[in-house]
Amino acid sequence: MKEIATFMVNEKHYELAIEPHMLLVEVLRDELGLTGTKHSCGIGSCGACTVLIDGRPVLSCLTLALTVRGKDITTIEGLAQGTTLHPIQKAFVEHGAIQCGYCTPGMILSAKALLDKNLNPTDKEVKHALSGNLCRCTGYVKIIDAVLAAAEAMSKEAHP
Amino acid sequence: MARLLRPFEYRGPQTVGEAVRMLSEYDAQARVLAGGTDLIVSMKKRQISPRYIVYIKDIPDLNYVHYSQETGLTIGALATHRSIADSSIIKDRYNLLATACNKVGTPQVRNMGTIGGNICKAGPSQDTPPVLLVLDARLKLVSLGGERVVPIDTFFLAPFKTVLQQGELLTEIQIPNPPPVSAGCYKWATKTVAVDETLVGVAVLMSVDSADGVCTDIKIALGSVAPTPMRARQAEEVLRGKRIDDRLIGQAAQVAAGETRPRSRADFRRRMSRHLVSEAIAETWKMIR
Amino acid sequence: MSQKLSVVGKRIIQPDAAAKATGNAIYVSDITIPGMLIGKVLRSPYPHARIKRIDKSKAENLSGVEAIITPEDTAQWQKFDRGLKDLPMIAGGYTVPADEGVLNERARHFGDAIAALAAINEHIAEEALELIEVEYEELPFAIDPEEAMKPGAPQISDFAGRNIGKHMPYAFPEGDADKALGGADCVVEGTFTTTKQEHCTAETAAAVARIDISGRLIVWSQCQLPHLARREIAHIFNMPVHKVKMITPFIGGSFGQRGSLCAEPICIALALKTGKPVKLVYSREENFIALESRTGFKCNLKIGFNKDGTLTAIQVYMLGRLGGYMGCGPMASAIGMIFGLGHYRCPNRAGEADMVMTNTPVSGAFRGFGNPAIMWGIEQLVDEAAERLNIDPLTIRLKNIKRAGETANMGLRLESTYLEECIKQGAEAIGWREKWGKKKEGAIRRGVGLATMTHCSGAAPLYLDHSNAFIKLNEDGTADLVVHPAPVGQHIWGALSQIAAEELGIHAGDINIVTGDTDVTLFEYGSDASRSTYVIGNATLMAARNAKEQILARAAEMLDISPEELKISDRKISSRVDPKKSISVAEVCYDAIYNFKGECLNISGKCSWESKWNSPPTGAFFAEVEVNTETGKVTVRRLVTAMDCGKAINPMAVEGQLEGGMQQGIGYGLTEDYVINKDTGVVETDNYDSYKMPGILDMPETKVIIIDEPDPKGPFGAKGVGEPGMVGVAPAIANAIYDAIGVRIRDLPITPEKVLDALGSG
Ligand SMILES: Cc1cc2nc3c(=O)[nH]c(=O)nc-3n(C[C@H](O)[C@H](O)[C@H](O)COP(=O)(O)OP(=O)(O)OC[C@H]3O[C@@H](n4cnc5c(N)ncnc54)[C@H](O)[C@@H]3O)c2cc1C
Ligand code: FES
Ligand code: FES
Repeated sequence: MKEIATFMVNEKHYELAIEPHMLLVEVLRDELGLTGTKHSCGIGSCGACTVLIDGRPVLSCLTLALTVRGKDITTIEGLAQGTTLHPIQKAFVEHGAIQCGYCTPGMILSAKALLDKNLNPTDKEVKHALSGNLCRCTGYVKIIDAVLAAAEAMSKEAHP
Repeated sequence: MARLLRPFEYRGPQTVGEAVRMLSEYDAQARVLAGGTDLIVSMKKRQISPRYIVYIKDIPDLNYVHYSQETGLTIGALATHRSIADSSIIKDRYNLLATACNKVGTPQVRNMGTIGGNICKAGPSQDTPPVLLVLDARLKLVSLGGERVVPIDTFFLAPFKTVLQQGELLTEIQIPNPPPVSAGCYKWATKTVAVDETLVGVAVLMSVDSADGVCTDIKIALGSVAPTPMRARQAEEVLRGKRIDDRLIGQAAQVAAGETRPRSRADFRRRMSRHLVSEAIAETWKMIR
Repeated sequence: MSQKLSVVGKRIIQPDAAAKATGNAIYVSDITIPGMLIGKVLRSPYPHARIKRIDKSKAENLSGVEAIITPEDTAQWQKFDRGLKDLPMIAGGYTVPADEGVLNERARHFGDAIAALAAINEHIAEEALELIEVEYEELPFAIDPEEAMKPGAPQISDFAGRNIGKHMPYAFPEGDADKALGGADCVVEGTFTTTKQEHCTAETAAAVARIDISGRLIVWSQCQLPHLARREIAHIFNMPVHKVKMITPFIGGSFGQRGSLCAEPICIALALKTGKPVKLVYSREENFIALESRTGFKCNLKIGFNKDGTLTAIQVYMLGRLGGYMGCGPMASAIGMIFGLGHYRCPNRAGEADMVMTNTPVSGAFRGFGNPAIMWGIEQLVDEAAERLNIDPLTIRLKNIKRAGETANMGLRLESTYLEECIKQGAEAIGWREKWGKKKEGAIRRGVGLATMTHCSGAAPLYLDHSNAFIKLNEDGTADLVVHPAPVGQHIWGALSQIAAEELGIHAGDINIVTGDTDVTLFEYGSDASRSTYVIGNATLMAARNAKEQILARAAEMLDISPEELKISDRKISSRVDPKKSISVAEVCYDAIYNFKGECLNISGKCSWESKWNSPPTGAFFAEVEVNTETGKVTVRRLVTAMDCGKAINPMAVEGQLEGGMQQGIGYGLTEDYVINKDTGVVETDNYDSYKMPGILDMPETKVIIIDEPDPKGPFGAKGVGEPGMVGVAPAIANAIYDAIGVRIRDLPITPEKVLDALGSG
């Protein structure tokens, strides 16, 4: 039986009737059309389905949609302001950190969770923050470069 | 093959009382859902298809880390790996637990997964049980009939089997103060890659007489080398009451490896047990010497 | 060729990157069409079984189920080769028998498709799948090629005697290898085995198919070879080609896997059956069991040298595991032999391969094709020979590598090669001199190792290597470039924009890529064999050149000077003699359309390019490893890839290809193992909880060195660089392990247990 759930996605308020067995990834992709959240392994191992709940990266393929009641969800669609990219997105684009792009939304969100707390991460901290996101294309090298560059850009923005 | 979830009835109790009432009512047809990083995977793989899901994460008073000199450490079953690993009191006084929680899965899994789920999953390779074994943790189990507190070394029965009864909820993990001059650590090897299931996990907690440098007590526990997390009691005997040196460490590690009962990759697991036990003792010894 | 370049060679931003960074990019799995149904496939739990009976009545009665198809329903359609090679396209008439139906009444491997259905949503589709009842008759099965070749083994395909699907001879044999080996001063030999590696594309296989009211079939497909797929699909479903339209959206990774038909045939069958749009997305597990993955090989290698280290003979026998259908697997051995045996200068070369059908999931093309498998052995044996001859590994290679002007691996002249520079610069970067061959002590030992390789830029002269490009200039001097590479993530749109813009003297951002629709694009072989930049790049260059000539002619007329006097750069055409005489590209292009002179046609250029050449990229891979002799654990500390890929059109994109190759190479070398249970035929590693590819924490410090010297044949001197990046990684690691602990691992992947075993302390 469907139950009503209210929550925020990308700062927009939603009230939806949801079947309890629906996963968050299904609701985001199929009901809300937010297909930037990707599905890849379905068992929590790859991080492609990562979204932020109250600022923390979690796996939407293992989250019941009903359990996000009252929570604040950020998907990849919530980062850019119109066509102005978020500094992390910009850094990914400029550093060639995106190949097929299928891991990219999850990567960027994991990076965002890190940089929102720590604008001066070490190489090691970046790697640990992204260790739940698999990429088959890039060898991760340019992804790390991009996150470090974004950190620098963001901290300049924060303390000009 | 992982699929989508089959339909089930959803229950979202707001209190422990409500939760145990539901669990007893639905009995074998119900499953507790906490972080879901284990249960949802099993459901997707059709290993289980519960009729009722009792989601406990909305119960507000089960997510905490408390410490007091008198009672020691108490952790709510819903505390996530992330919050435990970040807790300053745990990092200060129970660093091995922080280490183990930081080892679990990935950042996302640590944000979602709870210590209660880690204990109740009870697979041989879970990371917190060996640590909880050496810390002498006690588990508070609540049911409609009341509550009981069981020492963790009596909790695990077989792979994925515990003393937890139908209708019972793990609500709290209680950990006494560590002995005065003591230190501990958690060491592990993964199956293949850096972020991976634990192949062998070793926890050590050692106390020393500060006057003569003798090891007054030691506990060694291993994960993933027997049907349940196990203590290496014979190896502990090798060290207890002795002044630790390399030779003794080697001997204890050898004995500990002999105590393991791994099923798959048995020789390698035994070898890794020896290696990790020796590393863990040496490192602990270095910390308090 | 020392040309001043203003666009080529720049680290430009990819035209599609922002879309991918924002979630705006649409992949096949993201598509929804009104009325669209969701497809699901029922798969065999047995490695070999005859379907005796399928009862679909219960599933059919489930509300929301629209159609269920079984082998009976699909018999009306043509059998096919999923690798697209049952229709001739390879030189010499090589074809693969069409041995697979859309659905098959005998399951030939665990995970083979038995039935499929379409329902109004995925939940109902899954539920229905569980309601289909199948009665199987289990048949004896063969998992290993050796078993499968034995008399009495179950026959897997009727054309394959002893289950040998193809016997492949080496295409460029020379001399008398047997004799030369007999006379060699030093012969090194060994058996080397490699694993089936799964591509682990981030997006799983997916297709959407729709039949429109006129009976046209529209397929959203991830296929790397969309025009070949179109022809194959038309053939399978008995349709004329113009009734099939293939659309290529963004593709979430391929690495060769999408060079074959994946989800398309079943998806189309369901759409035909229901008359409604159908989307079929494979699960991760289906990606593992239903698609092609890298061919596993056993290679018996023998290499002969003179005392002074000159290579005199090389001989190989490759035994490959194909799986239940032929697929692309057979060519893996042919390609492996061409690149492996043709890598060094060697007068006596012989090779053959048996590609054997087994009751296992199908094998096919994966980055490097058979090259990583054969180089896994060759590069270890070269090190062994060096040690025996007391020559160091660098010197023995420098002595035997080919120089420009010699005959390259595919029998053509080697126009350019900078492998020597690769070896020298790579050695410098890893610190070879200080590190290699030093005495090691203690439990944890470090070592360095090297491997070299060569590959291809396209598949000429082996395949018909054909590309078309069309470019039209808009009235403001921007351009639309019509091409059809597969955008699998290799930054190809950017590279083609750079090539076109450089030639036209405009900016890369002035180019709009018109692509992904076979209704619009001209015939295109597609994206494989490291060919897109080289072959589609050459077609693009020539099309742009064609347009440029027209621009210059028109500008000359407008400026009233001779075209020879003119040059274009930075969107401007100006006289070399009198720079004041100039006109913008935009003005010329505008004039072509808006001129009131009776013609208003965009300036446009077209090129049909059949590649007659092949410029092999070459590279040297250096690994520094740390081996724990107590635990057997191998940790790669540093990896250096030095690559001669001609002129790097975009160095950032080249680095990306090589860095990605390192991840896949480390996985191939150390962590990835596709496990099939020998007793049950079940694939035990079907998702990332059991099959382990390297994560970010498994990656060492890496360095990519691009030699960046132009090749005379490639567009602006570029060669292909899509595949080489992983070829040398595993053997370099193995050689580094030998340097560290003095033991050789010949069997992939290198696990701690194998290291301990080899050390004799297992
Ligand atoms: C990608 C990935 C990596 C992982 N890596 C690791 C790892 O490295 N180490 C490791 O130890 N584990 C690992 N796990 C397993 C799992 O994430 C952890 O064990 C986690 O702690 C489980 O907690 P949870 O809250 O998510 O449990 P859930 O999935 O919610 O529950 C697990 C089980 O415990 C029961 N349960 C939960 N809470 C209670 C309670 N309070 N009282 C009674 N029963 C309860 C549930 O009914 C269920 O049977 C991994 C999982 C994934 C998906
Ligand atoms: S799809 Fe959720 S972790 Fe892979
Ligand atoms: S860019 Fe393709 S998986 Fe990361």
